[in-house]
Amino acid sequence: MKRMLKWAIAAVAAVAIVGFLVFLYVVPPLMSVAPDAFIKPTAAAPPAVADIADPALRQIAERGRYLVLTADCGGCHNTQGPQGPRWDMYLAGGTTFATNNHGALVSRNLTPDRDTGLGARSDDQIRMVLRSGVFHTGRAISPRAMPWPGFSQWTDEDLYAVIAYLRHIKPVRHAIPDPRPGRADAVLPNASEIVWLTDAGR
Amino acid sequence: MPSFPSRVGWLTIIATLAVVARVATVTLGLAQPPPAPPAPAAADGKALYAAHCANCHGDDGRGEGAAAALLNPAPRNFTKGVFKFRSTASGSLPSDDDLARVISAGLPGTSMSGWNRRLSAAQIGAIISYVKTFSPRFATERPTPVALAPLIPTSPASIEKGRKVYADLACGACHGDTGTTFGAVAVVLQDDWAHDLKAADLTQPWTFRAGATAGDVYLRLKTGINGTPMPSFADTAKDADLWNVANFVVSLGRKPVWQMTAEDVTAHYDLERKDAAANPVERGRYLAATLGCAHCHSPVDASGRELPGLSFAGGQKFRLEVWGDVVSANLTSDNQTGIGRQSDADLKRAITRGIKDDETRMLPFPMGWPAFASLSDPDLTALVAFLRTIPPVNNEIPEPARLNIAAYLSAKFQMLILGRDYPIVIFAGNAGSAGAGPKAGAAAK
Repeated sequence: MKRMLKWAIAAVAAVAIVGFLVFLYVVPPLMSVAPDAFIKPTAAAPPAVADIADPALRQIAERGRYLVLTADCGGCHNTQGPQGPRWDMYLAGGTTFATNNHGALVSRNLTPDRDTGLGARSDDQIRMVLRSGVFHTGRAISPRAMPWPGFSQWTDEDLYAVIAYLRHIKPVRHAIPDPRPGRADAVLPNASEIVWLTDAGR
Repeated sequence: MPSFPSRVGWLTIIATLAVVARVATVTLGLAQPPPAPPAPAAADGKALYAAHCANCHGDDGRGEGAAAALLNPAPRNFTKGVFKFRSTASGSLPSDDDLARVISAGLPGTSMSGWNRRLSAAQIGAIISYVKTFSPRFATERPTPVALAPLIPTSPASIEKGRKVYADLACGACHGDTGTTFGAVAVVLQDDWAHDLKAADLTQPWTFRAGATAGDVYLRLKTGINGTPMPSFADTAKDADLWNVANFVVSLGRKPVWQMTAEDVTAHYDLERKDAAANPVERGRYLAATLGCAHCHSPVDASGRELPGLSFAGGQKFRLEVWGDVVSANLTSDNQTGIGRQSDADLKRAITRGIKDDETRMLPFPMGWPAFASLSDPDLTALVAFLRTIPPVNNEIPEPARLNIAAYLSAKFQMLILGRDYPIVIFAGNAGSAGAGPKAGAAAK
């Protein structure tokens, strides 16, 4: 009887350990889940524009939604949780990018929140970031951490659409710290950039 | 008697410390900088240039700053002393006022923003003094002003005359017969710095670099845009004709989408879609640029500058510590190491589903295929059509180096259970086979 109990405990322990390892392997982020498991939430995250009353602005914002989604703004500006993007914090920022010439930057909160997002930024200030890589404080933005040289080639009309759409997404209160000095290649030789996914926002 | 420090004593100490801390932060400059720094002396031109201009124009003024490779139009190289937008004769240096205008107002439709919102006139003056030190021309030559004819006010008659002169001067060869480069014109132009260039779309006055009034257009016709195929017509056409052309050009302007009615927006977007379908390579070029493909698929040096000759040739190495090393693919049309032998369907599947032609899977990052999956079919077709036009570069990309299962489980345990933040490291240099440049990650552990 005692022996059987021992075996039973051993079996339960073995199942628990194997189960835990399988769980570790399977839980995201993982090597291989179906592509649709990534594609569907990515496509569903940017809110629709149907509730915009002005029919001209609605079409422009729809174009903006397409541009923001396909240019993968969320790739860097989605707030990351332990198992991937937090879809309830779409474009709320918080990922840290250490560069070699521009210090360590944290991806900004692009939601219309007044205090921590773009709510208080003028269209012109947003345009200056996307076109010229210049932050509203005058700071030059790393073209490595933020691929603004690519976005700078959006036509004025597409740029207008992007900004119109960013004005429309859900505001999320999420304060992003200012850049801090440092170099990526001081952390690891020959690195041009280091990305820490842990949310640096508050 | 209460022992020291008493309550009053504490308050005194805290108040003193607060005052000391306040004084210290102010004197040590730790406090928030004031929003508008005081106007500096001309000697600060170099520092201002380094802070605001060098990211694109480079520390040496050669237009090769870290952001330069992917910008279009490319940032000006100051060392030749050739400037596009002047009030001076073709081939002449610009006046200080010309330079001040460009820096203050910026160049619409380009990455050169208007700095009058960020810098004072004195600061801009200091930058101009410094920029002029890059070319020896400024030490030996003077700007040659041009004589300007009085304005001919616009009228239907002037516009009609202008239409005829526009045809006579063959403006349409670059700008299109109807003033739009929208689909109509397939000329590939180059500037003197060997950058590809598109002629201005004359229906979009908000993109005119140096102003869109008839006077501005007249000045461009009169002085030319040096360094580009746009000549000066000062010697080849009469002033009255140039004014008439200017009035005609202004009459071509359309409304931008932000001023359109809903019907106009619908019609305009339809027209854009038709244009894109008729010119898939051009549409694909736009998509590749604005999606930032080259951001990861062109290798860079440690300061972020693109390695020469390796545009789209892949080779940026990413170390994702839980998953191993991956290297960005060679997107050039090379048959051995690029996408030359891959079918359109294979390329589309790689871009939108992260499945490579050898049936292996990509991670959902850094390659943004979960987002690219939302590209429309025509856009995807256009993107592939453009990729096919990239000249081949032989750069063999190593296979991903995945962690073994034990290391993977250990890394995930540390990440998910112990909360360790595994960084993604991007290495400078080319991890592919091409070139003698520094190998990516060579110096790393």
